[in-house]
Amino acid sequence: MRMRKRITLYILLILSSIILFFPTVYALMVSFMNGREVLSGAVLPSSFSLDNYKKAFESLPLLSYLWNSLVISAAVMAGQLIVSSLAAFAFVFIKFKGRNALFFLFISTMMVPWEATMIPNFVTIQELGWINSYFGLTVPFFALAFGTFLLRQHFKTIPKELEEASQVAGLSRFQFFYKVVLPVSKTSLVTLGIYGFLTTWNMYLWPLLVTNDETVRTVQIALKQMQTKEVSTDWGVVMAGVIIVVIPTLLLLFGGQKQLQKGLTQGALK
Amino acid sequence: MKQSKRWGLFVFALFLMVLAACNNDTGAAADNEEEDTASTEEQSNTGNAETGEAAADDEATEVTFWHAMGGGPQEALEEIVADFNEKNPEINVVPQFQGTYDEALTKFRSVGGSKDAPAIVQTYEIGTRYMIESGFIEPVQTFIDNDDYDTSQLEENITNYYAVDGDMYSMPFNSSTPVLIYNKDAFEEAGLDAESAPRTYSEIKNAAEKLTKKDGGNVEQYGFSMLNNGWFFEQLVYTQGAYYVNEENGRSGDPAEAVFNEEAGKNVFTFLDEMNQAGTFGNFGSNWDDIRAAFQSGKTAMYMDSSAGVRDIIDNSDFEVGVAYIPHPDDVEPEGVAIGGASIWMTNSMDTEQQQAAWEFMKYLTTPEVQAEWHVETGYFAINPDAYEEALVQEEYEIYPQLQVTVNQLEDTTSTKATQGALISVFPESRQHVVTALEKLYQGTAPKDALDEAAEQTDRAIEIANRSNQ
Amino acid sequence: MNSAPLTKESGYEVGDLPEHSEKAFPLRKDFWQAMLYLLPSFVLFSVFVFYPMFRTIYLSFFLTDYDGMPSVFVGLENYAYIFTSDEFLKSLRATILFVLITVPAGVILALFLALIANEKLKGIGFFRTIFSSNMGMSVAASSVIWLFLFHPSLGALNQMLSTLGLSQVEWLLDPTWAIISVSVTTIWMNTGFAFLIILGGLQNIDEHLYENAGIQGAGYWYQLRRITLPMLSPTMFFIVTVSLINAFQTFGQVDILTQGGPAESTNLIVYSIYREAFVNYQFGTASAQAVILFGCILIVTILQFKFGEKKVHYQ
Repeated sequence: MRMRKRITLYILLILSSIILFFPTVYALMVSFMNGREVLSGAVLPSSFSLDNYKKAFESLPLLSYLWNSLVISAAVMAGQLIVSSLAAFAFVFIKFKGRNALFFLFISTMMVPWEATMIPNFVTIQELGWINSYFGLTVPFFALAFGTFLLRQHFKTIPKELEEASQVAGLSRFQFFYKVVLPVSKTSLVTLGIYGFLTTWNMYLWPLLVTNDETVRTVQIALKQMQTKEVSTDWGVVMAGVIIVVIPTLLLLFGGQKQLQKGLTQGALK
Repeated sequence: MKQSKRWGLFVFALFLMVLAACNNDTGAAADNEEEDTASTEEQSNTGNAETGEAAADDEATEVTFWHAMGGGPQEALEEIVADFNEKNPEINVVPQFQGTYDEALTKFRSVGGSKDAPAIVQTYEIGTRYMIESGFIEPVQTFIDNDDYDTSQLEENITNYYAVDGDMYSMPFNSSTPVLIYNKDAFEEAGLDAESAPRTYSEIKNAAEKLTKKDGGNVEQYGFSMLNNGWFFEQLVYTQGAYYVNEENGRSGDPAEAVFNEEAGKNVFTFLDEMNQAGTFGNFGSNWDDIRAAFQSGKTAMYMDSSAGVRDIIDNSDFEVGVAYIPHPDDVEPEGVAIGGASIWMTNSMDTEQQQAAWEFMKYLTTPEVQAEWHVETGYFAINPDAYEEALVQEEYEIYPQLQVTVNQLEDTTSTKATQGALISVFPESRQHVVTALEKLYQGTAPKDALDEAAEQTDRAIEIANRSNQ
Repeated sequence: MNSAPLTKESGYEVGDLPEHSEKAFPLRKDFWQAMLYLLPSFVLFSVFVFYPMFRTIYLSFFLTDYDGMPSVFVGLENYAYIFTSDEFLKSLRATILFVLITVPAGVILALFLALIANEKLKGIGFFRTIFSSNMGMSVAASSVIWLFLFHPSLGALNQMLSTLGLSQVEWLLDPTWAIISVSVTTIWMNTGFAFLIILGGLQNIDEHLYENAGIQGAGYWYQLRRITLPMLSPTMFFIVTVSLINAFQTFGQVDILTQGGPAESTNLIVYSIYREAFVNYQFGTASAQAVILFGCILIVTILQFKFGEKKVHYQ
C-alpha cells in the first residue's frame, strides 16, 4: 500500500475513534470528579478518586441489581436460543403447507413496537401472577423473530447431503436437529446469544413496570434511581453508575466481537 | 420412539424454565451473602428487606410503601423507615421505589384494588382528585376520627390542600413551594440592593434588565429564568387569587373548563414574554438540574426553584445566594403560594390490621422529630410546624438563614380557594399542555394564542375523562 | 467454521413444496411435526404480540375509564380526533423527520467506518473494537451521557464551542436543534451494530474481484463504485430495513433527553403513545396512535422490499 494512502487512513481512523469514543471517555472522567469539579465544567478530574463509585454502591443495592441483570439476561439468552432454533429448524428442514405465510407472520412481529403493546402485556403478566418475578422479565422475550430469521438464514446454508446422510444413519429428525444442525451452526448461535444478552441487559422501561423491589430489579433501573427531580442530581455518582452498568456489556462485546460479526453477517447476507 | 424423543425436547425446555426459576431463589440468597461480605454499611439500606423477612416470620405486619423518591431523599426516607421498624418490631414497613411520580401512579392504577397493590402509595399533589375518584383508597379521615388524631398540629396551609370538603383523604408528606432565588453578588455588581429582592413584575423586569450581561451576540448572564414546569405557572396564577379551573379551582364541584387563560394567566405569560423579547429571560428547559447549573455557573442571576432545592443551591454556589417570595403583578395583592410535592395514601386492598399498621407509620411520619430530620435532610417542609422548634432545625437555620424565608412564605399565605390549589383529575395532562404553551411562547407565539390552546386542550381532556368515567 | 458453499442450490428454498415423495415422512405428518417445533414460538407470539395487538386495535374504538377498561364505544372518533389534532400531526412529522435524518446518516457513517476499518493495517483490530463498542452501551446509559454532554452550562459541547470562540448552542432547548441532538445521540448509539454488519459484509466479498480489478489498473474509487457497493447491497438492504424499523420505534432517548419537548419538536410517535397511555391514561387514543404507527412501519417495510430489493445485487 502506498505511504500516502496509509497515512490518510490512519488519520481517518484515529479521528473517527476520538469522536466516537469521546462520550464514553468523558463519562469515565466525570465519574471521578467531585461535585464542585463537575459544576465548574472541568474535562479532566483533579484526581482519580473512587468516592463516586463507593457512593453509588452504598446508596443502592447495585450488586443485587447486577446479579439480577445477569440472571435475566442469561435466561432470556437461553430461552431465545431454544425457541428460535426450534422454529428456524422447522422453517428450513420441514416442508409443510403454509410455511411461507407462517414465516411472514413471524417476521411481521418485528414490526410491532413493544411500547405500543405494553399495556395489555402488563395486564397479562399481572394475571399470570408474574409481577415482581423473573418470569415476567424473561418469558415474554423468549420468542424472537429476529433470532428465528437469523438462524433460518444460517440453517439454509447447511448442505442437503448432511440431512440425507443422517437419515441413512438412522437419526430421527430431532436427533438430526441437536446432533448435527446445532453444532454446525455454532457461530450463529453464539451471535444470537450475545445479541439476546445485550438487548436484555439494556432493557429499560419494562423492568421498571413489572418489578417492585430490589429482589428482581435490573441494573438499568439504578440509573433512573440515581436521578432526582426536585433535589439536585449528583452527576459524578450518576456517571459512576453509567460506567458500572456498561462495563459488563463492553467486556462481553470485546470478547465476542469476532464471533458476533461473523454470525451477524451470515444472517444479513443471504 | 420418535414421539418420546420429541416430548423429551419439550420436557427439556420446561426443565430449563424451571431451572431459571430455581435460579431465582438461589440467586437471591447467593446475592445476599455477597452483599453481606461486600459492605456492612450497605446494611442500613438493603438490610431492611432482609431483616424484614426474618421478622415477618414472627408475624410482624408487613406494610409495603411505594414511593417516588430517588437519590438523596430516597436515602433519607429509608433511614426514617428503618428507625420506625426498629422502634415498632410488630410492624415491618417495606419502602419500594417505583420511578417518577407519573410512573408510580401508572403502576398503582394498574394494580389498584388487587393483591399486588401496596399498603401505602406516595402520589404527587396533582394526582389528588384522581386518587379520590379511583375507589382504590381509604380516606385517612377514617383513622383520624377513630383515633381522635389532632390534625391542627399540622401546618394549616399544607393540610388545606389535601382536605376536600373538610375531609382529609391523604396524609401530606413531602411538601414544597416555589421561591425566587437570586445571586447576591451579581445584584451588587449591577448596582442593585442585594438585601431587598424585587417582587413585583416591574421590579423584576427592571432588575433583570440591569442584570443581563451581553458579550456581542452572546448573553453571558440572563436576568431571570423559570423552569418550564407547569407548577410555577400555576403558582403565579394562584398568588393573584385566581383559579386554574372553574368551580372555584374545582374545590366546590367538578370543574368543567380551564380558566387559567383568563386575566391572571395572561399576566404571567405577558410578563415572561416581555422579558423574553427583551433578551433578559434565559430559557434553560424543563430539567431541574439544568436550570440550577445555569444559576450556579452564573448564566442566570434570578430564577424560580422549589424550596426543596434551596439548600443544595447554597452549598454548590460560589457566591452569596438570596431567597425571596415569588413575583406578582404590580396592581395585585399577593395571596401567597399553594403547596406542591406529594402526599401518602392508604389503599383499601388490605386487611384492617395492615391498615392500622400503615396508620401507625403515617402518624410516626408526622411527629416533630421525624419531620425535623426529614426537613433538614431533604429540604422539604416539615408538615408539623413544631419540628421547626427542634434543635436540629434551629442549628440548620443558623447555617442557612435563607431556609427561614421559605417557611415564612408558606406561613404568610392567606388561605383561599386559590391558594388551596386546583383539583382536577386530568392535571398531569393539563400540566403538559401548559409546558408546551410555555415552550411555544419562548419560540415567539403570542401569549394569548399559546395560553388559549393549552386551555382548549385541557377542556377536551376534562370532557373526555367525564365521558369515559360516568 | 462452516465452509459449505454459499450458493442457493445448497440451501433449501422456502418456496418449494415437495415434488418428490421418497421422503421419509408423509406431508401430513410433517405438518404436525413442524407445528410441534413452532409451538413454543407460536404460543409466546400469540400471548405477547398478537393478542396485545388485537387488544390494541379493539381499544382504539373506545374511551377508557380510570382502570383502563373500555367504557364508551366511540367508533372512529379516536382516529378522527388524532388526525385533526395538531399535536399528533406534529408528532408524525417529527417522526418522519427523525427517520429521514437518522437512517441515511447512520448507515452512511457506519459504511464509512467499515470501509476504513476493512483495510489491512497494523492495529486495525483496536479500531474495530472502538467502532463497535457503542453496541454495548444501553439506551439508558448512552442517553444519560449525552444528556450531560448537551448540558446548557456544564456540557462539554458548549464548553468546546466557547473555547473556540463560537456562540453556544441550545442543544435541547431550541426545537430545531433538539431533533438534531436526539438524532445525533441515536446515530451514535446505533453505529456499533451497523458497523459490525457492514464490516462483515465487506469481508465476505471475494478477494479475487479486487485482484482482477487491480491488475486492470482500476483505482480505489472505481473499485468502490463498481465492486464494493454492488457486492455489499444485500447487507446494506438488511441494515437499512432494520434501521428503519428501529427508528420508528425510538423511545428511551426521547424519554431521558427531552420528554418530547421543546414545543413537541421531539415528540416521536412511540413517546407520544407512551405519554397518552401512561400519563394521560387515555388508552383509546393511545391505541389508535399505535395502530397508525404499526401501519406506517408496515407500509415502509413493504415499500422497502418492493423497491429497495430491486436494486440489491445478489451473487
